[in-house]
Amino acid sequence: MFRYIIRRLLILPLIMTAVSMLIFAMLSLLTPYERASLYVQDISKRPGAIDSIIEKYGLNDPIPVQYWHWLVGRKDANTGEIEGGILRGNLGWSKTGKATVWEVIARRMPATAELAIWAGIPMILIGVGLGVISAVNHNKLPDQVLRVISIVGWSIPVFVFGLLCLMFFYARLGWFAPGRLSDWAMQVVQSDSYRVYTGMYTVDSLLNLRLDIFRNAVSHLVLPSVTLAYLNWAYMLRLTRSSMLDTLSQDYMTTARAKGLTERLVILRHALPNGLIPVVTIGAIMLIGLLNGVVITETIFDYPGMGSFMAQSALSLDVISVLGITLFSAFILISGNLIVDILYGIIDPRIRLD
Amino acid sequence: MQDLLDILNLKTHFQTQEGTIHAVNGVSLSLSDGETLGIVGESGCGKSVTMMSLLRLIPMPPGRIVAGSAHFFGRDLLQVSDTEIRTIRGSQIGMIFQDPMTFFNPVIPIGKQVAEPLEVHRNFTRAQALERAAEMLEMVGIPRARDRLSDYPHQFSGGMRQRAMIAMALICNPKLLIADEPTTALDVTIQAQIIELVLRLREELGMSIIWITHDLGVVAGLAQRIAVMYAGYIIEEALVDEFYANPQHPYAIGLLGSLPRLDANGHKRLVSIDGLPPVLTSEPNSCPFAPRCWLAMERCQRENPQLRYINDKHRVACWVDIDSGKER
Repeated sequence: MFRYIIRRLLILPLIMTAVSMLIFAMLSLLTPYERASLYVQDISKRPGAIDSIIEKYGLNDPIPVQYWHWLVGRKDANTGEIEGGILRGNLGWSKTGKATVWEVIARRMPATAELAIWAGIPMILIGVGLGVISAVNHNKLPDQVLRVISIVGWSIPVFVFGLLCLMFFYARLGWFAPGRLSDWAMQVVQSDSYRVYTGMYTVDSLLNLRLDIFRNAVSHLVLPSVTLAYLNWAYMLRLTRSSMLDTLSQDYMTTARAKGLTERLVILRHALPNGLIPVVTIGAIMLIGLLNGVVITETIFDYPGMGSFMAQSALSLDVISVLGITLFSAFILISGNLIVDILYGIIDPRIRLD
Repeated sequence: MQDLLDILNLKTHFQTQEGTIHAVNGVSLSLSDGETLGIVGESGCGKSVTMMSLLRLIPMPPGRIVAGSAHFFGRDLLQVSDTEIRTIRGSQIGMIFQDPMTFFNPVIPIGKQVAEPLEVHRNFTRAQALERAAEMLEMVGIPRARDRLSDYPHQFSGGMRQRAMIAMALICNPKLLIADEPTTALDVTIQAQIIELVLRLREELGMSIIWITHDLGVVAGLAQRIAVMYAGYIIEEALVDEFYANPQHPYAIGLLGSLPRLDANGHKRLVSIDGLPPVLTSEPNSCPFAPRCWLAMERCQRENPQLRYINDKHRVACWVDIDSGKER
């Protein structure tokens, strides 16, 4: 197991390098002009500005040279100082976020993590719970009803469900607003007396003993989490159901009953540990997916997380931001998968990692 | 001897899309205290379903016990409440199965699984139950059992798993052990060990055994009485010596003829019975074996023979007297 983890950790930089090269290669699709225009505000009034940007950042260099500069940094022609270089811990300046890429990630990641927790935990609990109920009542009324609901959930696209929620609960009823906090709450959060612990408003507000902020943060989280959770719990339900049905038809269920166990114990002790093995894996992978930001949902609800930032920077051709975020996502994805693998080895005694 | 178990006219059906399958069609059997009964038949003849019906382990639906009674210590197993049948399962009637790999839970340690009946039926604590499980595993011949309690089923060999399965079935010291083809999935040498083990345990613990098998060779040395099943009917039942010396039903004769014998003279070919057993979707009004029977007469085509005594230790369901070739 230990050797397996070490080996996987050694592969990590290799994959990250490959990912970054891939994105960098796509740069050749953009002309230096397109990339430079992001940094010039009023192009028509400032002739030559674009050329100086191209000159300053070396956008005309061959792509491999630019990649090398992005890795180790580039000497500025005027000041002679080395700027950038992700190997020096500098992911560059994000024009879209108006801060360094690191700062943007540090600011946006807690928002995404908060959404992932609020959507992910109910999604897993409800999905798995209903899936078990569905399987235990196979082909009876609860099963039929849940199957219909989950098919519907599974087939509605996020943007349709999200927009419907927004239309109904925000525009019509005015119960829940988009964004992350109301203006008054945002002022409180940014004031000096309010201490930031995690960057997750629902957690920090409780630590600051501000229930009003907590309520406000939750009310902003309701719609995006429900949207995310509804679509994903439908999937969890179907997965749990089929996995449990498979388990319930196994021979060892008969053994458990033949030992005189109550039906409750048969399900809890003998079926669940088997039936939930694939569910744990998929659930964890889903959570990782949520942590990497959910572009459409965050965009619809104007939620300032990693996903909406990714969308903004991609739309404004902000290459540096896209590179930084993608690299960070790749890191989360790969290390998350490693954790899932280890988890798998723990919950299923038949799996040996080596 | 007092009857331990008395099954009367048991009928079990399965609802399928092709119609109602008549799996067990009025089986009557009795078993006295300490006796070992062998139930023999091809796959699908209803022998497992009969025993599963007894413990109400048939999945319902699609299965349904349509008629019959099964008295065990004076209680009708088919009528008692769900709670009551649970207190009998694993405690007074233990069961072992064919494939010890698939019948053990793959993610629970062996020790915990073997100990479980004690926790459920005898209110043992986990630690007490595990202690007892280790003793029981030693008893069925698993060396260093205490160290192996935390092993998982896949870490045991096939024979060891079957031993553990036997330990699990007998840990509450049941009066009756139902063995559903427990040696079928094992090597011949391991088979012999398992049979020897069961014989020894029967001696030590004194339980009755119902041994289901399709192998007439296996039950010969194990059972006192043999019942042959075909298409959900018992077609012949006799004490073991009587059965092997004087089989009466053409099907039983066919089964015995398909066994190689050490005392056979010359190079006799093994006989096989042509065709397949029928799947009954209704109660037949002919002998279910008639289409495969080389002695079938006109009467066999229009009337299903009942199980009748031909002497005080032998019952058979056949219209033909095997010795004369004529109708009984």
